Amino acid sequence: MTGRHGRGRRPWFLLLLLLAAVSLVAAACGDSDDSDAGGGDGSESDASEAGDDGGGSSDGGGDRSINVAIVGNPQMEDIATLTPELFTDETGIEVNYTILEEQTLREIVTRDVGAGGEQFDVVMIGMFEAPQFGANGWLFDLNDFAADTPAWDVDDIIPAVRGGLSFDGGLYAAPFYAESSFVMYRQDVLDAAGVTMPDAPTWDELAEIARTVDSDEMAGICLRGKPGWGDLGASFTTVLNTFGGTWWLANDDGSIGEAQVDQPEFREALEFYVGLIGDAGQDDAANSSFNECLSLYQNGEVAMWYDATVAAGILEADDSPVQGLNGFALAPTKVTDASGWLWAWALAIPQNSPDPDTAWEYVSWATSEDYINAAGEALPGGWAAVPPGTRESTYANANYLAAAEAFAQKTLDAMLAAPIDSPGTTPRPGLPGVQYVGVPEFQDVGTRCTEQFSAAIAGSTSIDSALSACQDIASAVSN
Amino acid sequence: MSEVIDEDVVDVAEQRVIDRADELRRLQRREAWRRRLPLLPALLFTIVVTQVPFVLSLWYSLTDWTIVPPSPREFVGLENYGELLDNRFFRDAVWTSILMTVSSVLLSVLFGLGLAVLLDRKFFGQGFVRTLLITPFLIMPVVAGLVWNTQIFSSSFGVLNWFLDLLGFERIEFVTRYPLWSIVAVLVWQWTPFMMLILLAGLQGQDSSVLEAARVDGASSRAIFFQITLPQLRRYLELGVLLGSIYLIQVFDHVEVITGGGPDSTNVPYFVFQRSIGGGWQFGQASAYSIVVVVASIIIATFGLRTLSNLLEGETP
Repeated sequence: MTGRHGRGRRPWFLLLLLLAAVSLVAAACGDSDDSDAGGGDGSESDASEAGDDGGGSSDGGGDRSINVAIVGNPQMEDIATLTPELFTDETGIEVNYTILEEQTLREIVTRDVGAGGEQFDVVMIGMFEAPQFGANGWLFDLNDFAADTPAWDVDDIIPAVRGGLSFDGGLYAAPFYAESSFVMYRQDVLDAAGVTMPDAPTWDELAEIARTVDSDEMAGICLRGKPGWGDLGASFTTVLNTFGGTWWLANDDGSIGEAQVDQPEFREALEFYVGLIGDAGQDDAANSSFNECLSLYQNGEVAMWYDATVAAGILEADDSPVQGLNGFALAPTKVTDASGWLWAWALAIPQNSPDPDTAWEYVSWATSEDYINAAGEALPGGWAAVPPGTRESTYANANYLAAAEAFAQKTLDAMLAAPIDSPGTTPRPGLPGVQYVGVPEFQDVGTRCTEQFSAAIAGSTSIDSALSACQDIASAVSN
Repeated sequence: MSEVIDEDVVDVAEQRVIDRADELRRLQRREAWRRRLPLLPALLFTIVVTQVPFVLSLWYSLTDWTIVPPSPREFVGLENYGELLDNRFFRDAVWTSILMTVSSVLLSVLFGLGLAVLLDRKFFGQGFVRTLLITPFLIMPVVAGLVWNTQIFSSSFGVLNWFLDLLGFERIEFVTRYPLWSIVAVLVWQWTPFMMLILLAGLQGQDSSVLEAARVDGASSRAIFFQITLPQLRRYLELGVLLGSIYLIQVFDHVEVITGGGPDSTNVPYFVFQRSIGGGWQFGQASAYSIVVVVASIIIATFGLRTLSNLLEGETP
């Protein structure tokens, strides 16, 4: 027995010895590697440059191709299917799409653009990123390109959207679609329950309607509950704003002040949100965001839905099962006058794009009035499904207005009403924003806090502990 | 008297033999080193090449490298490590990692042992059943996570909830309600076959004559299992636990796909991801966390193995 024991133990000791040796060597090398690590950045980007040249994408000539990263929302998937026919056949430019979920796209794009990668020629970013990335000097100013491309009429872009994508006079991304948030509801269900929706409801009215129409077969309302500052974070922050709460106070110089998560308004907003989902919300709420709510609503499993205005075009499209059954109302309020958010998904060209001119050729096509017109004819969903909210010409287009009669004006109203400059009751740090705080730190804080809130929605943690955790997370970045 | 002399003679002779054996062993050892010497540069090269990422992380962990907002990379010494101890979220992640690793390793060893014992018997279709049982281990972690998340746990489309419905129970939102245990369930499902394979090898390496002898002596199956089979399996169990812990403490894919982080499911690797490329963009801090994980992995593996070793030694007759 002892003999075997000895033998059994030996390889184990060797392993430990080896590990110890390895860590010693590692520690010893640590000092000599300083200079190398410092220069690491330069050599890394050199290497990737060489790799890209080897890939030979940008040599001009017949077979030009570009890499584009976009979010996997319906309008983006539409353009991906239409590109070969409408763009590649015309220009000979091959477009390779990488379609990602919102959160993943952000991580990849920030890493690629911020750390000097050259994976993508065109990236889709939002209103949160565009001015920040522009300020960091990571993106081309599209005004320079636009000056040479009169067909891409920059003055046709809706001013609020253009403003939100600009920093210091430079336009850093071209809007693909833009949206506010509002309430979509099943007119037939509300009629059957004998309730009417005001054009501009308050959250209390909305909650009462949701609780009234809620039944076993159909939830009263679908609200985002999936972690992520752009998911649950967006919906919840609009509620927070109109309840008079805020994430942080602003210092005089616009930097992040004291965290306000422990304030009573914040708690009231969160309790309201979690409570409403608990009483009248969809199943598995902690797991649902835009796409999940969209499918629930289309399947007739929810009666109302508070989300992006862009959803209306999908609900009213020719291939939608709920076409013609919907009513729309402005984003609900509590103590402020308006609460809808303002957002745009937009295409940007990173500074280290290998071939910015080809990239611009694509961007100026994808965000043009021509694309909207072509999509209206080509899409199975028809005119209602074209990317909305970006250009004034869309809202003057008779075809679009005919198909989108139910929601076109409401969308425009909601976008104009979005309180971009003063979303809450207190001044906020950073750049303007409604459903987010325009500071880079919000990405991380928003995502980690919404993980806590989402857990509270699921019931795996309490509102108290979610709030206290979030206050700690938010406090860590205040100055 | 003569007996005493005899004894002395024997002693001296014995001493001489021992001396010579020692001498021989020393020579052999020297010879062995001489033979290994030419291999040393290769070994050093391997260590350097494989450890460079680790060394870079070590260096990054001493800086305050942040890419959003972009800022110069400055040396801050051990500050990152100091902050780490105050960070309740890091402590939570550590605790989650421990729970996740320990419970999935133990459960998969337990189930793996059970399956291995069953598979050790002869029956029709043994090979086929073995192949079926191994399959979960061959599935990519991301795919396994997705399948479980969308088709088994999901409260709208999941098989489990369909069963609950059928039996007249309320639907349960497994993933969001019990994030940790949902992930552990998938990990156990994936790692049980691995443990089973290792333990099956151990079982099949048993000397059948010993088992037969025990049976002839009238030992019960239970006694045979606990007093002969299990001690025999000890080294295989050690191996399983060791490999399992080392792999499972690094679990990332399952967390990303099934819950996407959150209280009770953010383990240390996921936390490191979040602090670095997952939105935090604090590469310095994240490197410090990852260094701690490396050290902790080594420590945990050591303790786990020693505990198990002692445990089984106690049962050895």
